[in-house]
Amino acid sequence: MFPIVLLSVFGILLLFLGFLKSRAILLPAALLFLLVSLAVNFIDWNKTYLYFNGMLLSDNLSMVFTAIVLGSAFMVVALSGSFMEDESAQPAEYYGILLFSLVGALMMIGFENLIMLFVGVEILSVAMYVLTGSDKRNLRSNEAALKYFLMGAFTTGIMLFGMALLYGATGSFTLGGIRAYAVNPQVGLSLLFYVGLLMLLIGLLFKVSAAPFHFWTPDVYDGAPTLFTAFMSTVVKTAGFAALFRLLSISFSGVYTFWWTILAIITTLTLVAGNITAVYQNSFKRMMAYSSISHAGYLLIGLAALGQQTKQAIVFYSLAYSVATIAAFGVLLLVARQRNAETITSGGSSSESFDAFNGLARQNPLLGFAMAVSMLSLAGIPLTAGFWGKFYMFSTAVERGQIWLLVVAVLMSAVGIYYYFRVIIAMYFREGATAPIRVAPFYRYVLVVATLLTIGLGIAPGLLEGLF
Amino acid sequence: MQTDLLCALIPLFPLIGFIINGFGFRRIPKSLAGAIATVAVLASFLTSCFLFGAFLGNANLTSTAGPLKAVLFDWISVGDLDISFSFQIDQLSLLMLLVVTGVGSLIHLYSIGYMKHDEGFGKFMAFLNLFVFFMLLLVMGSNYVIMFIGWEGVGLCSYLLIGFWNTNTNYNNAARKAFVMNRIGDLGFLLGIFWIINLFGTTEYTDVFKQATSLAIGDPEILAITLLLFVGAMGKSAQIPLYTWLPDAMAGPTPVSALIHAATMVTAGIYMVVRSNVLYTLSPLTLEIIGGIAIATALLAASIGLLQNDIKKVLAYSTVSQLGYMFLGLSVTAYTAGMFHVITHAFFKALLFLGAGSVIHAMSDEQDIRNMGGLRKSLPVTFITFLIGTIAISGLPPFAGFFSKDEILAHVFEHNKVLWALGVLGSALTSFYMFRLLFLTFFGEFRGTEEQRHHLHESPATMTAPLVFLAILSAAGGVLNLPGGGWLSDFMAPLFEGSRQVNPEAFAESTIDHSTEYILMAVSAGVALISGIIAYVMYVSRGAVPAPETTERSMPEQVVYNKYYVDEFYEAIIVRPIRGLGDALYSFGEFIIDGVVNGVAWLVRAGSNQLRLLQNGSIGFYVFAMVLSIVAIIALRFFVRF
Repeated sequence: MFPIVLLSVFGILLLFLGFLKSRAILLPAALLFLLVSLAVNFIDWNKTYLYFNGMLLSDNLSMVFTAIVLGSAFMVVALSGSFMEDESAQPAEYYGILLFSLVGALMMIGFENLIMLFVGVEILSVAMYVLTGSDKRNLRSNEAALKYFLMGAFTTGIMLFGMALLYGATGSFTLGGIRAYAVNPQVGLSLLFYVGLLMLLIGLLFKVSAAPFHFWTPDVYDGAPTLFTAFMSTVVKTAGFAALFRLLSISFSGVYTFWWTILAIITTLTLVAGNITAVYQNSFKRMMAYSSISHAGYLLIGLAALGQQTKQAIVFYSLAYSVATIAAFGVLLLVARQRNAETITSGGSSSESFDAFNGLARQNPLLGFAMAVSMLSLAGIPLTAGFWGKFYMFSTAVERGQIWLLVVAVLMSAVGIYYYFRVIIAMYFREGATAPIRVAPFYRYVLVVATLLTIGLGIAPGLLEGLF
Repeated sequence: MQTDLLCALIPLFPLIGFIINGFGFRRIPKSLAGAIATVAVLASFLTSCFLFGAFLGNANLTSTAGPLKAVLFDWISVGDLDISFSFQIDQLSLLMLLVVTGVGSLIHLYSIGYMKHDEGFGKFMAFLNLFVFFMLLLVMGSNYVIMFIGWEGVGLCSYLLIGFWNTNTNYNNAARKAFVMNRIGDLGFLLGIFWIINLFGTTEYTDVFKQATSLAIGDPEILAITLLLFVGAMGKSAQIPLYTWLPDAMAGPTPVSALIHAATMVTAGIYMVVRSNVLYTLSPLTLEIIGGIAIATALLAASIGLLQNDIKKVLAYSTVSQLGYMFLGLSVTAYTAGMFHVITHAFFKALLFLGAGSVIHAMSDEQDIRNMGGLRKSLPVTFITFLIGTIAISGLPPFAGFFSKDEILAHVFEHNKVLWALGVLGSALTSFYMFRLLFLTFFGEFRGTEEQRHHLHESPATMTAPLVFLAILSAAGGVLNLPGGGWLSDFMAPLFEGSRQVNPEAFAESTIDHSTEYILMAVSAGVALISGIIAYVMYVSRGAVPAPETTERSMPEQVVYNKYYVDEFYEAIIVRPIRGLGDALYSFGEFIIDGVVNGVAWLVRAGSNQLRLLQNGSIGFYVFAMVLSIVAIIALRFFVRF
């Protein structure tokens, strides 16, 4: 609860700071605000409270998700130093919008009432539409924003439709009320309830880019400025899965048999569409977009096999995935900027292709290593956090006896190795004339911390257990 | 808790030393690198001493209360299996800690002098530190998995250090041989651990042994587990049939031979058996097998040692043979005696290797004893300490080796008279080849080149100081466990509570009376003395020198000189068939496998090429696809029954 209030205030403050002549204070201020919000998040640790007339819940799980979201946001913002050099950028507004969007994300994590979920999703989405189009002079960025907005608006309609149907069937917007109706029906569950459930689910699945509602993802991720792509693929995804988990585990766990096959089919589609399509991509950024779809698929396994271990699996997977993704985008930002500077005359748009990484490790061992570790983690190689994330996810499926889902997931993660390792091969085994890239000290810390976290959680995954 | 911190510190010091030297060896000056590495191990030693003192002072712990455990963090928890990263401090781990860090510190100190002129000095020190780190994990871990980490880690360091001078192909081959042979053993060890998990549901020592005490003697599963674990011990502790890597491992720098291939790593197998003593006591058949292998190894290696001319090879075969003695002791449930021999052997074998290193250093890297002789005048300190080591290993009273070996033999006598007689025979051989080595090296006339004679010098103080320390320990180490109820027996007694419980007969009070015991002592000491005198007559009085490589040898001599052709035998029955199989699979199997792999990759790419066309950028299509999907989902859910 405290972070929500603080972030709202801080967002307004940041907009005012934008009036100052010097931009130098913006980045430290944004980082400080995020740190403060992260710190106050833990005030209610080990206590469970309902806030705002029972609209929001604060318990250990929601605080852990909040910490992951705020931590990811902190790392993304820490990588945003390049705004200061870009004349046309509006950093105060970017940071302000980011903080507001986090308020939406936190609402999605802690909602107790479907209205709150809707408000949270919309706050987050509208902020993302704006940030996607923030590179105003770039056509691709504009196109992406428009696409995102149109499809997002369309899905909002469906989601709202679902909520209305649920209300019609149950007479309640609260999670507990819906649960009570689903568990203990007076006269059997009405058709409205089922259709409403599916539509609400579809709305949320769109937000986490599950197939076949993923079509916006590659275009939007590719078109948006890289930094905001990193934000979207970590914060938005984590918040979306926190919301899905809350909804399914609390309200709809009573009708598990109704929805799990649908979810399992969607999981399979997502895994196949994400992984297989990623193979053919030549742009690293676009590959990461498909990779993010495929990781949504892995996370969905835990929901399709909802059980005792799901909570832990989703938390661990979100954390592992977020950390690795941020490190990967962080390196991409530097490499792409360097390549842009080099090809400014030739005007090639290959700055984000796999070839841009050729020979990177020789001149920039730190960047190469950070990228390699995050690729290994995303591919799920042991001794990285990603391995344990996948392990926990897969064991939920085993617990439920959904072996065929497991087989698909394992095959698809084998496909994943193909495209993740292309980057490592490019960095370590290809020749390339990369000059050493200057990395600002703070930027370096973020990459080092992300890498250490990935390896640390990979060696001792038990460290996170028992936290919640 | 404070002890938790102390426990964590012990392996942490060498790890820090490794990190500093390992990353900075290009920049850190040699003197500093040596100091860092030595201080790191010394700090571990002092911490261990402190812990040992605290342990002795705490009466509760030394009696029957369970061992001290320091849980650092929960490491793996899968289903019902919880494996924590934790250390166990009890009598056994404390003894090993003191030996590893104590002897380790001395050898680090020695290395500063010995490796001074080597280019890779910093790297060498880093590897040594890393080795100590893993060895400490091995002996401190409170479950088999931590032990396995250490087990693999020391194997890795052994590989790295044997092949330290990696420009020499022979040395690299020796390193590879050691690694591969150890892997064979490790496989057994790993299977043993899996079986333990399967049977007991845990790998924690205390839990496993507590559950094991309720099993019957001769349980077939325990038989399988102990045999598999012993396969691991065969590899690491160089027993037949996996011993041939150890003599080749002498390719590494001499301090490595002293630390890894004499004092510490190769005794890991004995440590593991003593650690699992409850399981082994439960399986008398395994113990008999161990006894057979042990005595065969001891005799075989000792007989090869008789004719070797390389100073380090003689010591290597002697190590193999002494390891056999340790296992011999374990095989008659004389666990304390086995550990006692581990400790004394660490002292005198480290001393002998370091002494050999000092000789090699003085002789400008000459290792053939045929080219030495008369060195006692130029290397007085080395000579005296080497003499003490030789007496100690030969089992002459009152030096350390006499007491430990005698205790093993006394237990063996009680159990099996034939084994005892063979053991005494081995002891005679040991005494002979050790005195032969001593006499050929230090007595008689100098047989090297003029240049070598000119260069002869006593080693610097960093090298002689460890020799003196180790010589004192080798001379006086016997007081740890004097015959008739020594300190060590009392100290280690709580470790064997479980074994005593499951098989009281094996731990019954000794039935032999004192007079028999004294006769046994006299016999083994006498035999050793006679062998020594024979060696004196042959190599000093008559001044015999082993024949050069080219001379014709009689048939039996030829066989022994060529180490019974064991390497050639392995080459013929194992290496070549495997290589043949590999060639065969390579020639046609590769074609099939490549075809399958490439085919799958082609399929995936083709699928990818088709799928990506869906992403056509048209928003109309996207929305249409979504609506279609929603309709499909709802239709699927309500109109299709599943």
